[in-house]
Amino acid sequence: MITIEASPAEIYDIELEHSLLEANAKLARDNRAKLDRHGITAIDFMGAIGSGKTTLITRLVEKLKPRLGVAVFNGDATTAADVDPIVAHNVPVVQLATVNGCHLDANLVGKAMDKIDLTNLKLLLIENIGNLICPAEFPLGSKARVVVVSVTEGPWMVRKHPHMFHGAAIVVINKADLAEVMDVSIAELTRDVHRLKPDIKVIATSCKTGAGIDEVAQALLAV
Amino acid sequence: MHELSIASGIVESVLEFAETHHASRVVEVRVAIGELTCVAEEPLKFCYEAITKDTPLEGSTMTIEHMDATVHCPHCSYQGTPKYWDEDAGGPQVATLQCPTCGKAVEAVTGHECAIKGIKYVT
Repeated sequence: MITIEASPAEIYDIELEHSLLEANAKLARDNRAKLDRHGITAIDFMGAIGSGKTTLITRLVEKLKPRLGVAVFNGDATTAADVDPIVAHNVPVVQLATVNGCHLDANLVGKAMDKIDLTNLKLLLIENIGNLICPAEFPLGSKARVVVVSVTEGPWMVRKHPHMFHGAAIVVINKADLAEVMDVSIAELTRDVHRLKPDIKVIATSCKTGAGIDEVAQALLAV
Repeated sequence: MHELSIASGIVESVLEFAETHHASRVVEVRVAIGELTCVAEEPLKFCYEAITKDTPLEGSTMTIEHMDATVHCPHCSYQGTPKYWDEDAGGPQVATLQCPTCGKAVEAVTGHECAIKGIKYVT
């Protein structure tokens, strides 16, 4: 085989500035503009699998549906298990199946927005995939982000996933009724959140007993 | 594994660039990754190598420039390096968004970069 090496004159070196997250960020801004036009506040929920995102959203739907128009987008890689309890409340629900993707993106959320009637809606609750690392870099167009952690995830949850909390407006510490059994201190988890970002609103809840749900509902309406 | 999405984004953009610039082979791609992103460098390189096979990017080097975080405090006007988590847990340092001067919440100025900064290619 004959190889011809390029002389240095034929090698070009170009400087550029091409953001890899910009395409998604632009779609997120488009989503946000559309939501704003309709007077809808979108909130996205992140947290590990089993932290209680779906149950929290179901409780919030129960609480808020009689007062205002609520819709739910539910991200899940493979199942529709999370949709059923919410559908039972007769609100618009769109399942966003990412198949092998590990996070929702603004494109999927935009497509989902085309599937529902946006008139008379006030609140859109978007449940992201149960993954604590990936979704942080992919804004969806929501006005605020809620991160759900539960005491059953242990005492290091916040320290181990700092990126997820940097972008959060509200942190819900769920399964508060189990804190004592788990030997996990809600005060310490709260302190950890505030060490990362002091202006995050932290609310302890128990979706089982209903404790704290009213406070979360109020916080969502105030963002 | 979002590094795969990021690597695909890089490859897609560079292939498009290569086509419009009539590049026969890409030698090097320089990428900037900010400290506050959760993009890990090793998996990014691994994905890049895996998906550039049989493309004009095959065998090219991906150079990653690590961009440090800086923050601005709207409360006391502090500008500079962030406060790091003060308990040493043995892992990498964790940047916080707490003002090192007044203790209130700061905004990140740099550290969220995830961009292609340069391409070296042969026509």
